[in-house]
Parts: sequence; structure tokens; C-alpha cells
Amino acid sequence: MNPGIIGALGIGSLLLLLFVRVPVWAALALVGFSGNFVLSGLPSALTLTGTSAFDVASAYTLSVIPLFVLLGEVASNTRLSADLFNAARLLLSGVRGGLAIATIAASACFGAVCGSSIVTAATMTRIALPEMHKAGYDDRLATGSLAAGGSIGILIPPSIILVIYASIAEQSVPKLFAAALLPGLLLTALYMAVAVGIAFAYPHYAPRIKRASIRERLKALAEPWQFILLFIVTIGGIYAGIFSPTEAAAVGAFGSIVLGAIGGRLTWATLWQSIETSIRTSCMLFVIIIGANLFSSFMVQTQFPTMLAEGAGALNISAPVVMMMIVLAYIVMGCFLEGIGMVLITVPVFLPLVVKFGYDPIWFSILVVIVVEVGLIHPPVGMNLFVIQAQAPDVRITSIYRGIVPFLIAPLLLIVILFLLPSLALWLPKLLYG
Amino acid sequence: MIDESSPSLEPPGAVRRLQAAQLRLAAVALMTMMTGTVLDVFFRYAFNKPLRISYDLVESMLVIYVFHGISSVFLARRNIVIDVIDSLVSPHILRALAVIADVVSVMCLLLFIWGMCQPAIQAFEYGDRKLELGVPLYVLWGFALAGLLGTVVCALAAFVQISLRQLRSPR
Repeated sequence: MNPGIIGALGIGSLLLLLFVRVPVWAALALVGFSGNFVLSGLPSALTLTGTSAFDVASAYTLSVIPLFVLLGEVASNTRLSADLFNAARLLLSGVRGGLAIATIAASACFGAVCGSSIVTAATMTRIALPEMHKAGYDDRLATGSLAAGGSIGILIPPSIILVIYASIAEQSVPKLFAAALLPGLLLTALYMAVAVGIAFAYPHYAPRIKRASIRERLKALAEPWQFILLFIVTIGGIYAGIFSPTEAAAVGAFGSIVLGAIGGRLTWATLWQSIETSIRTSCMLFVIIIGANLFSSFMVQTQFPTMLAEGAGALNISAPVVMMMIVLAYIVMGCFLEGIGMVLITVPVFLPLVVKFGYDPIWFSILVVIVVEVGLIHPPVGMNLFVIQAQAPDVRITSIYRGIVPFLIAPLLLIVILFLLPSLALWLPKLLYG
Repeated sequence: MIDESSPSLEPPGAVRRLQAAQLRLAAVALMTMMTGTVLDVFFRYAFNKPLRISYDLVESMLVIYVFHGISSVFLARRNIVIDVIDSLVSPHILRALAVIADVVSVMCLLLFIWGMCQPAIQAFEYGDRKLELGVPLYVLWGFALAGLLGTVVCALAAFVQISLRQLRSPR
């Protein structure tokens, strides 16, 4: 049988297994192993299975994942994020929609340290939602800004999803982090603009809160100093070329533990809780990466992506149309698939196609992260929406669904900008790393 | 989504102790990774003497971390599943699918163990070592296999839990 057809059958089987609730890692691993077995025989497939698992679990570049997850957990459990939100809240007091803007800003900053959307959304919901309820904010604006703000965590560096992409696409992690910075900042600004727009269009959604005095604002600025210090050391260290991403993550995690202990906010129990959650979260990711690695090697053998590219060429489909179809496919898949799983399943198939059509893999990584972000927040299965509902069971899921819809304009607009202006993602990596 | 379709019913004490031991081992590996890297950075910038073993240390600890950390993921049924089907089929079918998913998961874990045996034996026969750390690679393969065996036990315990729960639940 033609390897391309075997590849297509493999993808079909994978989707079927996922549909019948087989865990993502097991579906990827089973299809990957079976495909390798059919194409190269049992001994070769077995060796590949064993060695690829070991290779993933000993990849230095992937060590950044548990360390950044630990940093995020410690920062969340020691309430560094609360300082951040409080500062933003006081600075923006008196501005209509100020709390929603503060939520988005604090989420972007927190995401810049922890690298995970779900952790950001969960943490900020616990902190910001009670404040917004107290101020009389409408549930739709409150949860919409929380979900949108939380999703920035996977785009603003350090982004765990970019580390995973780098490992599949064999790209440099610092380059990807550099590429994500400007789009991440622009997306933050776009989300804020949406929040302001809603607050002005529907003033009763966001009652104006009392303006803080200059003294209170200055005091608030100094509060998140620990957070700012961590941010400068970790992210600044990566961009300045002082640290590799793993070193930055280790120094950041260590720093957050030390700062938490000095400030009396970190107990042994909190530290153990942070470590335990980090282990569960990051090992859950590792096991999927191991499965995806196996699936990816199967895809490479089948040359299925090449077949797709040739098919598109034969049908005279232009590159922008192919890209639009890919974006559309991601958005549709985002309705059903979980973000990291989606990246791991699709990148081995789409990346060779994208490169063949002359697009930069670094630019594509940012596009993928943005569409995954859309998947995180768009109904019916946006993970961030469920995270928020789990933290705030009194808010109806339909309110959360309705609240997020206007915010979806921002990432969709960013996708258009990224197509029109690829240098938005490519300029900084070129400047920093040549 | 996280697969939490069937929690509760405590696993046997021996399984809990095994999982706790593996979790602690993973925690030690994580702390060693972090401390080793911080010390490397500190010595590099303070005394211009980086710890040459740090790269190997991180890679070695990551093996222990991953293969021993995943047992808690399986015991707590924290693997990511796509739950689109949940609203389309009856709870009875969902329970059957959960059993199938568990069987597939255990099969895949056993497949990984089978696949890892040969490279582990080769690592033992050739005696390869980590360049800077000097640790024989077969030791790391041993940790990996032991971690996976523990994970199989935890996955089986989770499978038994869900089966017992289904037997006891009203039809």
C-alpha cells in the first residue's frame, strides 16, 4: 500500500481513537507504533518506541517545562499574582472598565512568568473575579476579560506550547520566544481595547470605581516588586543572552521559592503542593509529547505532508489559500481538541506543507499559538472557560460563553495582521539572534 | 479535558505507597535539576567556573522525573482526553469507553516497556556513560523501566477502581 495512504488511514484512526475517549497520548502512541510497524516491521517499530520515549524524557530543552510550571505554581501559591492585580487595579482606578483592563494586564504579566494559560486563568479568576463582583461588574465582561487575559499566557514568553513546538519542529526556543513577544503585547493591547469598547458601549457592565489617590497609586506600584524582579531576571535574562531558557526557568523557580520564603508566604505545605501540582501537570504533558514523537516519526515515514503539498499544487491552490484553510482547520479543531494535543497532532502534518509553500516555521509557530489561543476561549470547549467556571460555579456557563464572544475579535484580527505583516513575528528574532 | 470520569474509591495501600515513593523521587529529581542549574549559573558568573556536570545532571534527572512522575498522572486519571462524545452517548456506553481507554493505556505502557528493554540491554552491554557525569546509561534506563513498571501498577489500580465502581453503581 502507498505510504501516503497509510498516513491518511493513520490520521483517520487517530481521530477515531480520540473521539472514543482514548487518552491523547495513548492514541498518538498506538497509531504511531502501528504505522511504524506496518512501514518498517516489528523490530524497528519497537526500537523506535523505546528510544523515542527515552530521548524525549532526557531532552535538555524540554527540562524548561517542569521548571517553568514550578515557577508558575509557586508564584500562584505565594500570591505574587495578587500583588500584581492589586497594583494594576489601583493604577487604573477611576477609568471605566479599569478592573477588566487591570485583569488583562495582570494576566499578561503573570503569563509572562508562568507560561501556562490554564494556571493564569485559574489564578486570576480567584483574585480578580471577587473584586469585579464587588464593583458591580457584569458577569459577561468579568469572565470574558478573565478568559481572554488568561489565554495570553501561552503566547507571551515563556510559553510552554512554544517549547513543545520547538521540540517537534527542531527550532530554537529563544528565537520562538523572541518571535512571540510583539504579537503577545499587541494581543494584550487588542484585548484591552475590546474591554474598553464594551465598557463604553454598555456602561452598566462596568461601573466606574473610586479613583485612588496619587499616594495609594505610588504605593501600589511598589507592591509587585518581587514579581517584577522575577520577570526581569528570567525573561530579561533570556533576551539578553545571559541565560538559556532552562537556566532562566531554574533561576526563576529558585527565586520564587526564596522570595516566597523570605516574605513568609511559602510554607513547607505550600511548597510541596506546588511541587506535586508541577509534577502532575508537566508529566501529563511529557507523556503526550512522547506519544506525539512516535506519531511524528510515523508521519515522516509516510510522506503524507508531501502528498498533501503535491495535491494542493496539482489543484493550483495558492499559498495564502492553503494557509487560510489551515487556520480554518485549526479553528474548527479548537472546538473539540485540547490545545497542546492539537499542536502535537497537527504540526508534524502541517509544518512540512507550510515550509514547502515558503512560509517561515518561526512565523508559523506564532500563528499556531494564536489559533490555539482562540481554541482555548471559544465555545463550546474552550478550556479557559471551563477553568473559570470551575473557580466560579455561581456564574452560568452561558454567561461565560456570551462574555467571550466580543473578545474573539482580537486574536482573529491579530491573525490578519500577522498575514499582512509577517515581520511582526520575525523582526525581533532576526534583530536578537541574526 | 482531563479524564476525571471515575475518581474516588481509594486504591490499595501498597499502590498508594508506591505512587507516593515515585512522586517523592520525581520531586527530588526536580529539585536537583533546579539546584544544579542555579549553581552552574552562579559559579559561571561569580567565579567563571561553570559546573560542567550540570547539562548531564539535568538530562539524567529529567529521565527520573518523567518516568516516576507519570505514575501519579495515571493513578489520579489526569490524562487528557477529548470528551466531545460525552453529550452524545448514554452513561452506560461512556463507562464502557472508559474501560476501553484504560485497556489501551495499559497496553501502550507495556509496549513502551517492551520497546525499552532492548536499548536498555544494549546500554548495559556497551557500558556507555554520560560524558561529564560519568553515570552509566543503563542506570538511567533502569530508572526509566522501574518508573514505567510502577506506572503500569498505578494504571491497573485506576482501572480496577473504575471497574469496581461500575459494578457497584446502579444500572
